[in-house]
Amino acid sequence: MLKIEDLRVNYGYIQAIDGISFEVPEGKIVTLLGNNGAGKSTTLMSISGLVEKAGGTITFDGQNITRMRPEKIVHLGIAHVPEGRRIFPSLTVYENLVTGTLGNKKLTKKRQQELLEEQLVLFPRLRERLKQVGGSLSGGEQQMLAIARGLMMDPKMIMLDEPSLGLAPIVVEEIFDLIVRIREMGKTVLLIEQNASMALAIADYGYVLVNGVIHIEGSSKELLANDEVKKAYLGA
Amino acid sequence: MEYIISQLINGICQGAIYALMAIGYSVVVGVTGMVTFTHGEVMMLGAFASYYVFLWAGNNLFLGIIASFAASWIVGMAVYKICYEHFFNAPRHISLICTVGFSMLLKNLAQILFGANRLPMLNIIENQVYSLGPVKINLLQIVILLVVFALAAVLSLFLNRTRAGIALRAVSQEKTAAYMVGINVRRVAMTGNCIGCGIGGVAGMLMAIYYQTCYATMGGTMSMKAFSSSVLGGMTDVRLSALGGLCIGIIENLGITFSSANFRDAFAFCFLILVLLIRPQGFAVKKGARP
Repeated sequence: MLKIEDLRVNYGYIQAIDGISFEVPEGKIVTLLGNNGAGKSTTLMSISGLVEKAGGTITFDGQNITRMRPEKIVHLGIAHVPEGRRIFPSLTVYENLVTGTLGNKKLTKKRQQELLEEQLVLFPRLRERLKQVGGSLSGGEQQMLAIARGLMMDPKMIMLDEPSLGLAPIVVEEIFDLIVRIREMGKTVLLIEQNASMALAIADYGYVLVNGVIHIEGSSKELLANDEVKKAYLGA
Repeated sequence: MEYIISQLINGICQGAIYALMAIGYSVVVGVTGMVTFTHGEVMMLGAFASYYVFLWAGNNLFLGIIASFAASWIVGMAVYKICYEHFFNAPRHISLICTVGFSMLLKNLAQILFGANRLPMLNIIENQVYSLGPVKINLLQIVILLVVFALAAVLSLFLNRTRAGIALRAVSQEKTAAYMVGINVRRVAMTGNCIGCGIGGVAGMLMAIYYQTCYATMGGTMSMKAFSSSVLGGMTDVRLSALGGLCIGIIENLGITFSSANFRDAFAFCFLILVLLIRPQGFAVKKGARP
């Protein structure tokens, strides 16, 4: 579904991503692992068109999206749930959810209503807080809101950037259960995590990013069994 | 006592105009994320547009509002194209200096086109005074208050009840996230900027009617008043900026009650400095933010 070939991104003189290639097959959860500064978030940002690319191609559903404008990429069906959630703090929860549908003119009123209902079933806690402003939610609720806002775009693929960051373990488990349910809804998931063991537990396939290059790849079973991965990321 | 009350009413009325300027200003700053120093000239051109409409079409306030709004909208488009569009990824002072330069250009163009003299504004609203006990208020002041409240209400409905309004607020809160949810940020920023400018234009018209004069350099003080009101309100909060404008208007007029009208601007800016010394964030409280 998503194919990245030889992607390169520079920040000034620094090469943040140095020629990575990987694929995300439809209906799977693929995870990108790696330490801080390995280039995970930059990869996502370049997929959604938010950073300049120095080279390489990104294709989605057979379409070249390398130089597309961010809003066009969203319309093709890629939702990006950013690191640190980045919800709109003084919009209400309802308005935050509505923003997910703003860019896409193809969504009918009826479909928007359906999407909203879907999210409120998936995230019942948001229903209780529809009228509250986003900034007043707890961290976990904000993360759920960010994911729900992503799903409001009716995407084919959703990219989650460190959804577990700064959350209590019990909330993290809840979020990971939700990610599995999102795959069951037929959506493709590209997941970035520092919490490698949890990510590999739900992912189908994984890539390990080190200093802007893909170091190891394999199915999650293979990665879980890999000695290097165990040592560096699973703390074994 | 009567004198003080009537000065208070003058202050509220003038404050309402400042509030409208500040509303426009904070919409612009919020949605583009950049500080503008062209707002005064945008307002000045709005005032001139209404001046000519009144000259040709007579006492038609509604037409004047439309004309000033439209003229400032168009100037706003030019400001956006020249001063913001290319500089979204540049350091912020670049576009700031660009707006300063563009304001000089507009001011001098206006002097060439409309002359450097003060043009007398026609009497759009007949001079009728209503009194309620010690309170005296004239028709002009009532009309100004009505126009300001009507515009503020329309803007508030637009921002809170329509999808375009939600997009506008989203862009002004979190640009990156707005990109990520598929909002066409540049188009929204352009529209928002133009709406802010249009509102400023109407404020310029009201200012010209209130002082019954219209001239090319009137933007300077107006721009400073709009800026100060907006700073009082924490720059991007529309409601608090309006409150800031109202405060400045009242302080000014109460100040000159006890001294001379020459000190009008001094009172406004001293008040601003005092507030900022005590509360640097202005009236703003971080709403909804968790510590």
